[in-house]
Amino acid sequence: MGLSMKLSRMRSFAKTGFAMILTLVLALGAIQAKADKPLQIGQKNKRPNFLLIVADDLGYSDLGSYGGEINTPVLDKLAQEGVRFTDFYVSPTCSVTRSMLLSGTDNHIAGLGNMAELTAPNQIGKPGYEGVLNKRVTSVASLLHDNGYHTYMSGKWHLGLKPDQIPHARGFERDFSTLVGGGSHFDDRWNVEWQIPKMPYTEDGKPVDELPKDFYSTKNYTDKILQFIEEGRGDGKPFFAYLTYTAPHGPLHLPDDWLRRYKNRYDEGWDAIRKQRLSRMQKIGIVDKGVNAADRLYFLPRSTALTPAVRVMQGRKMELYAGMVEYMDDQIGRVFNYLKRIGEFENTVIIFISDNGAEGNDLRAMVAGQVGSFGFLHAMNNFAEDAHNSLGRKGTYAEYGPAWAQVSMVPFRIFKGWVSEGGTRSPLIIRGPGVQGAGGINKKAILHVMDIVPTVLEMAGVHHSSTYRGRKVASVQGKSWVEMLAGSTHSPRTSKDWLGWELFNNRAIRQGDWKISWLYRPFGTEDWQLFNLTNDPGEQNDLSDRYPEKKRELVALWDEYMKKNGVIIGVRSPFQGARKGLPDPVQQSDSYPPFRGLEALPYKKLIEMMSGKKGGK
Amino acid sequence: MNPRQTFMDVLARMTLAAIFVSLSSPAVAVDDGARAYWKARDGAHVVSAQYLFLDMQASDSEMFDPSHFILPNSETEANLFLGSYAYHFTLFDRRPSVIAFNLLGGSADVDIDTNVVQSQFLPPGVARGASFSQSASGWGDPTVQLDVNLFGTPPLISTVDLVNYEPTWTVDAAIMLALPVGEYDSDRLVNIGQNRLYGRFALPMKFHFGPFDAGHMTSIELTPSVWIFGENDDFLGQRLENDPLWQAEAHVTHDFTRSFYGSLDLLYRRGFESEINGVSVGDELDVGNVGLTLNFQVTDNFVMRAGYSSNVIGDDNLDNSVFRIQFVYGWHRLMENLKKLRGQKH
Repeated sequence: MGLSMKLSRMRSFAKTGFAMILTLVLALGAIQAKADKPLQIGQKNKRPNFLLIVADDLGYSDLGSYGGEINTPVLDKLAQEGVRFTDFYVSPTCSVTRSMLLSGTDNHIAGLGNMAELTAPNQIGKPGYEGVLNKRVTSVASLLHDNGYHTYMSGKWHLGLKPDQIPHARGFERDFSTLVGGGSHFDDRWNVEWQIPKMPYTEDGKPVDELPKDFYSTKNYTDKILQFIEEGRGDGKPFFAYLTYTAPHGPLHLPDDWLRRYKNRYDEGWDAIRKQRLSRMQKIGIVDKGVNAADRLYFLPRSTALTPAVRVMQGRKMELYAGMVEYMDDQIGRVFNYLKRIGEFENTVIIFISDNGAEGNDLRAMVAGQVGSFGFLHAMNNFAEDAHNSLGRKGTYAEYGPAWAQVSMVPFRIFKGWVSEGGTRSPLIIRGPGVQGAGGINKKAILHVMDIVPTVLEMAGVHHSSTYRGRKVASVQGKSWVEMLAGSTHSPRTSKDWLGWELFNNRAIRQGDWKISWLYRPFGTEDWQLFNLTNDPGEQNDLSDRYPEKKRELVALWDEYMKKNGVIIGVRSPFQGARKGLPDPVQQSDSYPPFRGLEALPYKKLIEMMSGKKGGK
Repeated sequence: MNPRQTFMDVLARMTLAAIFVSLSSPAVAVDDGARAYWKARDGAHVVSAQYLFLDMQASDSEMFDPSHFILPNSETEANLFLGSYAYHFTLFDRRPSVIAFNLLGGSADVDIDTNVVQSQFLPPGVARGASFSQSASGWGDPTVQLDVNLFGTPPLISTVDLVNYEPTWTVDAAIMLALPVGEYDSDRLVNIGQNRLYGRFALPMKFHFGPFDAGHMTSIELTPSVWIFGENDDFLGQRLENDPLWQAEAHVTHDFTRSFYGSLDLLYRRGFESEINGVSVGDELDVGNVGLTLNFQVTDNFVMRAGYSSNVIGDDNLDNSVFRIQFVYGWHRLMENLKKLRGQKH
């Protein structure tokens, strides 16, 4: 080969190589540009901030903007300025939801295939059942922090206790966190789990040895998030703030001056309040008129069968719950006011959700049910006090029980822990840049907590890669809401898209209006049931016999869900013996025979008739 | 939620009423007692039996024995029994009230130094300089007291009223009247009865702290009162008159457990200056006692209480101490019926 030929070939190589390199560079540049270029969502030349607020065990209908009677002016205003969604789904329990909330993928992949505390023997050690947010996923905080965001967390973590599992290790540069699932809201810190008698707290990744004497969870979590934002705002970087309250999770605790804020507000009883809520929900358009609300659970008496005194005592618990919700609303107002003061409110995407359905289980009984156990000893030492007037104060234990949980979840069936609508529906309010349709209620979108990660990342212009710091990570299963929020579509999901749940062996699939669920007795049949949620959000009418083909289709999707996410049905479940732990069925009918009319009698008269004289009430 | 259990629990709160049950003990020599003006449920009955041991020594000051005689320069020992019955009701369907009947009885022994005692106090036939002792026993003057809440306590007629009851400030008015039918011998220096009408008007006040649940209750109580005495026209053949006796009684009470509370007690008395046949004798009374009371709820119905107090303020020349033990039994129709439903023994 002659020199000229060589030179010619070299020039050709060079040209080709240059062209290739140029193409590669341009391509990479384009990819990079696509990855990093934020949408035109925030203020000019600014990427949006994110304030993700999570309430703990808040019911679907508790907020005023969702039909509740609880005074929540701040969140109601947020709903008026933003958009409410009616069909937003979470998991039936908290850590499971949180794993999906932060990873954007299914809990069986993210490490919370089951709650750590309740993992079945055959699930232990299996991928997806680590009981912590595992390394198969990356957290939205890590991605945002790597891409120029300040990442702050204040509140409940419940996704791991070890140093490499805590918020600071999973992308939050600043944090003030309680690492466990629930316990005292005061400085005494007792945890409901006897294995960890005192709730562990961390601040910026370091253990917190002592809480301030005047510590009250909701207030101090708010203080901390404000502190973090304030201390970090000097450099002009946007922030992702994860404000994850432990309210209104039991034990129901309140500062003294809030204890009687709702005094006697709930003496009417759960039936009356539930009816009023449903009426308001229909009026404001959260649910359709004429919907089939779930029946009162079979073991709960109608409240009109209870004497006024019993209703006062039962109502006291709901009073405390309502107080906790309003207190949280009030504290959220502090955050909004601060953001307005520093000029960041309009550039902040605010997302408000609950982590699961309202709590109707008896958590204390679950912990302390076995006399002679450490759980019992722990309860004896720390949360035995439940005297009526003491409830809500430090050192007491109260939850509001299944009847009020049903009120919080009207019109849905059952409550936290179950994959019924009552365990998995949550309020969702979004406001901020990129969110159109202020004051609207979106009833067409079927949304899932996994969607929040891709939504936030897209708004921030951050790409979710298949690897993170050299390790392979699971892809996001959620769907971005950006187009929906912009008003381009009604829902990120088509009629073919579907969602799946499995927890404690209960399982469900929703596709469009249809849902199948498999629940343990007594709430389910331990077989698949089919419901049409449009007409029957209360899941009262099993349509299996009428639409066998639809049922088969959805059961096939369940098989797909199980395979896709590595679901392992546990050899035991906390709900296997649910029936034994519940009272016998009440025998009273609400209105039969109709001519008896006892409900129409004024209580005073009724009691006087019974007792023969005053003093018998 | 087990509604049956809840119903039982609510009814069981009526037993809490028994904890509140206490009885004021209107007798001049002792205080009413801690938590004496707490209200029980409308329709509650309470009986109480109380034993009091009084030991009083006066040098040159005035003091009074159980029959309220002025006995300067004396030493008195008394063993008294106070029986009481109280009924809690609602006056005009608005004011929680208690009507109580008290009957005092027992014995008193008095030693007088006749060298220094005023002549008016020497019984007939007793010469100055001689040693002199006298004893008396029998019934005292029965008293009836009506206590009406003026502020802070709603009617406690129904269970729901009790469940909603969370007092902070409460103010009562109480009026007591003694009927002079007790043992009295005009020739004796020492008597258990007084031979005169007397009574008391009181304004019991209290402030509650913390949750109003057994095991958590704390209170500060103050009862200012004034005793008014009629004229005894046959005191050793003379006419005895006394100025009003001003009294302030205070307690700080605190629950240690659900069935056990303690009280720090203060009783201060002043006034009661005497005139015999229109002539003033001796000084006015000025004495304050501090004491401690322990109260133990034995059963839903039954309470035991013991207390001791001694003078620590006021006239240095007057020593007195009071020990008492009290048994209180309260009942309410519904509380008893609840036990039937629960299959409990009475």
